[in-house]
Amino acid sequence: MSESGLRLVPASGPADVDALVRRVALGDAGAFERLYDELSPAVFGLARRVVRDPARAEDVTQEAFLEVWRGAARFDSNLGKAKTWVMTIAHRRAVDAVRRSESQKRQDHHGHLDEVSHDEPADALIAADEHSAVRTCMETLTDLQLESVRLAYYNGYTYNEVATLLGKPLPTIKTRMRDGLIRLRDCLEGHR
Amino acid sequence: MSIDLHTLSGAYALDALSAEEAAEFEKHLQDCSACRDEVRELQDAASLMGASQATSPSAALRARVLTAADHQPQLRPRVTALASARTRRRGWVPVLAAAAVAAIIAFAGFGVLQDRDGSTDRSPATTSVAQVFKASDARTASIPVSTWGRIRVATSAQNGQMAVDTHGLRQLDGRAYQLWAVRNGHSTSVGVIDDVTTGTVVPIPVAGTTVAITVEPEGGSTQPTTQPIVTMDPETV
Repeated sequence: MSESGLRLVPASGPADVDALVRRVALGDAGAFERLYDELSPAVFGLARRVVRDPARAEDVTQEAFLEVWRGAARFDSNLGKAKTWVMTIAHRRAVDAVRRSESQKRQDHHGHLDEVSHDEPADALIAADEHSAVRTCMETLTDLQLESVRLAYYNGYTYNEVATLLGKPLPTIKTRMRDGLIRLRDCLEGHR
Repeated sequence: MSIDLHTLSGAYALDALSAEEAAEFEKHLQDCSACRDEVRELQDAASLMGASQATSPSAALRARVLTAADHQPQLRPRVTALASARTRRRGWVPVLAAAAVAAIIAFAGFGVLQDRDGSTDRSPATTSVAQVFKASDARTASIPVSTWGRIRVATSAQNGQMAVDTHGLRQLDGRAYQLWAVRNGHSTSVGVIDDVTTGTVVPIPVAGTTVAITVEPEGGSTQPTTQPIVTMDPETV
């Protein structure tokens, strides 16, 4: 990959991720490269947020993209957007990684709740509008909705664990996760 | 029960269910299209939360991932699912699903079918039968089978692929055609053809391998249990 130092960052207009995945399904390695360039910051950033350790986040990113490469022919656009498909794969990989290794750690730090990181992403090249919309919209959630959604999505906790950490009944947490995401969805639709 | 399950859509979209709960919820999703729509929308929202964390990874990772992908075969599309929708018959769907799983397992670990350069299953596995027939260097043959009908075979050295078109065979009830790579008297399954209208594409076997088709119970067998209805040498196609 001698040209990797020269890689172009898409400057305007996001690539059509659905079309790229359809090309990848046909074994198009060039489309896979473009897909990687388009989505690797999102995948890596998410992995980093969930697993924290940059080296492990890279492993998760690699696993996720290989799963995308391998499974592209099985992606069904009737079931959703390609970008969501990729991010869902990445999130599951990240959560699996953190649950595997942290089941041990959590026993050692019983009851200790990790600070939810507020790191700003370091990368300035990313479509900032969409991301600021997400942040704005997350602020419209109630505290309990926000904490439930965040702890689950960014820390990889199960709703059971979230309920324990927040000292709330399970049905409450289940409902807050759903209500929170619905509110986030509705707010984001307003920002389109 | 269903009300309780329905409220899990948020936790599911956040991957906050245990594996068992997620499996149960997915079962529920199959029968609840409103739930599927909701999950899809909530996953969209969750994935935007993920994307908002974007950070560029190192260039080294890019090289690593692209190289790794280059060395990985791709999974075949789930053609049997589509085929079952088209030719749905009494009691077929679970059988086809089982056969599809068998076919995937059969494809997951075969060692006999290799590209000529020795690397295993290098070519993308997603090419359709028609694409191989249309390849610019395709060689094709129409071969009668011993029972009834004939198959058409195409090989493309450029793609390293062989396509078997089974339109000319009778659709079997309760049994399936299974494709074998036979080398030094040893047979390795390379796929089960559940639906004769779909056929199959496999990598061209190494020289000295013949390809045989037998009729097997639905889902396929681990070794041939009947005499081949056709045997061919891909080299001579």
